[in-house]
Amino acid sequence: MHHESQLATRLIFMVSAFAALFLLFGLLSWRTLDRVRVKGPIYEEIILGKDLIADVLPPPEYIIEPYLLARQIKDETDPTRLATFIARGEALRLEYENRAEFWKRTLKKDELGDLMNIASYRNAIEFFRLRDEQYIPAIQRGDRERAVAVLGLMDKRYEAHRLAIDGVVRISVQRNAAAELRADREIENQRQVLFLLALGILAIVFAIAWYAHRNAKILSDRLRMASEIASSVAGGDLSTEVPASAMGDDEAGRLLSAIQQMTASLRAVVTRVKQASIELMSTATEYAATSRQQETTVQSFGASTNQIAAAVREITATSSELLATMEGVNAVASQTANLAEQGQDGLRNLDSTMERMAQAANTMAARLAAIREEAAEITGVVTTISKVADQTNLLSINAAIEAEKAGEQGLGFLVLAREIRRLADQTAVATLDIEHMVKQMQNAVSAGVMEIDRFAEEVRAGVTSVVRVGGQFGQIIGQVRTLSERFDAVNDGMRSQSLGARQIGEAMGGLIDGARQTSQSLREFNSATESLRDAVVTLKQEIAQFKVSG
Amino acid sequence: MLALAFRLGNSRYALRTRDVVEVLPRRPLRELPAAPAGIVGLLPYRGTLTPVVDLCRVLLDRDCAPRRSTRIVIVELPDGDHTRLVGLLAEQVLDFIDVTATLPGLRLPATPWLTEHLGDAPESPQLLEPSELLPEALQQLFEREAEA
Repeated sequence: MHHESQLATRLIFMVSAFAALFLLFGLLSWRTLDRVRVKGPIYEEIILGKDLIADVLPPPEYIIEPYLLARQIKDETDPTRLATFIARGEALRLEYENRAEFWKRTLKKDELGDLMNIASYRNAIEFFRLRDEQYIPAIQRGDRERAVAVLGLMDKRYEAHRLAIDGVVRISVQRNAAAELRADREIENQRQVLFLLALGILAIVFAIAWYAHRNAKILSDRLRMASEIASSVAGGDLSTEVPASAMGDDEAGRLLSAIQQMTASLRAVVTRVKQASIELMSTATEYAATSRQQETTVQSFGASTNQIAAAVREITATSSELLATMEGVNAVASQTANLAEQGQDGLRNLDSTMERMAQAANTMAARLAAIREEAAEITGVVTTISKVADQTNLLSINAAIEAEKAGEQGLGFLVLAREIRRLADQTAVATLDIEHMVKQMQNAVSAGVMEIDRFAEEVRAGVTSVVRVGGQFGQIIGQVRTLSERFDAVNDGMRSQSLGARQIGEAMGGLIDGARQTSQSLREFNSATESLRDAVVTLKQEIAQFKVSG
Repeated sequence: MLALAFRLGNSRYALRTRDVVEVLPRRPLRELPAAPAGIVGLLPYRGTLTPVVDLCRVLLDRDCAPRRSTRIVIVELPDGDHTRLVGLLAEQVLDFIDVTATLPGLRLPATPWLTEHLGDAPESPQLLEPSELLPEALQQLFEREAEA
């Protein structure tokens, strides 16, 4: 109520002040307009001043003064006064030209402008030219006749000029009267418009005042509602609902809907916190149970760790032994490689020996071939011998037959034939023996050649197998060498394994300590869980203060 | 007395040297077309063509072995008033032996050429009668020549 009266009063006061000031402004404008209007007091004052100056001063654009001056000059004889008149005439001419220039710039090209700037101007200029070029020189020469003639011309110019000026005055007076009438009409119109504008503005101002008052009332109602809801929320009551009609599109409406959302969110949060505190309670209980279980687990883990540590120690010892064994094996492998190398060297010697043997076999085969050829030759010789023996036998037989036929005289011859036949027989027998021996020799040679061929073949096979065995020995050496390298790698691995096992042992020691510390930590965690449970109980009590539903 | 010893198959035989003219080495003979059995060919000898009889063919029904010891023995056969030369081809004609004593053998009608034995030992040669030895066709040929 207090807010409402305050806000509304202020608004009414402000609107009233505005209306009053506006009315004052309107009255002042009215009065100013009235005072400065054409034919108003100020206007009349200014016009009066101008009229006075116009009445007193000779008009520069109406050349009546130069005309009168020219007439004065005609009868003047005193040169000093004449010079003064001429100077004055010159000054008047300058003044006329200045003003004529002004009017040329100012007036529009209409009837008035033509009269002023063309008709009157040309005649005036012609007048001044006649005066300065002909009249004054004639006066100064004392040529009166000429001066009077020129003055006649000048009179005509002046007359034409005066007619044009009369026209100018007539048109100006007409125009002024018309302008005054127009100004009067304008002011009357403006007065009416001003009055209507004032009425309209006052109406709008009052409408604004009424609208502002009404809105201020709604706004203050809503704000009051918002403050009440906030107070109840501060008191822990979250059940207050904002009516849907109060939530509008304006700022207060948006504020109320925001408050509504806020209370709803707070309600949800509190509800969730309540549920969460219940869950937290059970979780804390579970934590306590779990941590107790973990404690026992950690204790058993400590025991297992001890066992593992023992096992690792055994592994370390075993791997050290294995390392020693591997080193022994490696030494044996190195010896094997050396032996294989020696074997390869031996094989290389054997290889050369075999080659020599093959060469020897070839030589023998060649010699045997030579022997065979010789045996063939022997056979030829033996055949010849046997032929000779055969012919000798035949000869002896025929000789014996002839000796028999010769009777007593052939007896000695018969004995000879008999002896020859016996020798031939022995020769034949010997020949047979030789033939037999040669045949045997040939057989032996053939057999020998075959044997040697086979031997050479075997030697050749031996050489190839020696080469193959040499290659195999090379492979064995290579493999044993790689074996040795692998053994080295295995050795390194074993060494690092042994080292690793020792490190694992140490780590196990650390792990046991860790388990002990973990057990301690778990005990601490247990007590912390207890504290958590207490805290959750307190939280629950605190949250119970919030009223969530009506 | 001397005898020329030779061999026909497994048995040794001999010829009296008085019947033998000369012993010749085996040599190519002039062939005789449509020759009677046992005649191998004709041998040019001392200006005549002497028929040669293969004794192996006559006695053993086979040709003599073509060896160097197989030789042609030229024999002289009585033919009426004068003699006729015939070549006999025999194996191992290599030896001549002294004939000291002869043993009479069995003279069978089918083998009239086998006469006395020159010893009682089993390998002792048996003397052959060349005039009985000639094939019948040759004998008849000779007789016809004589008649002419």
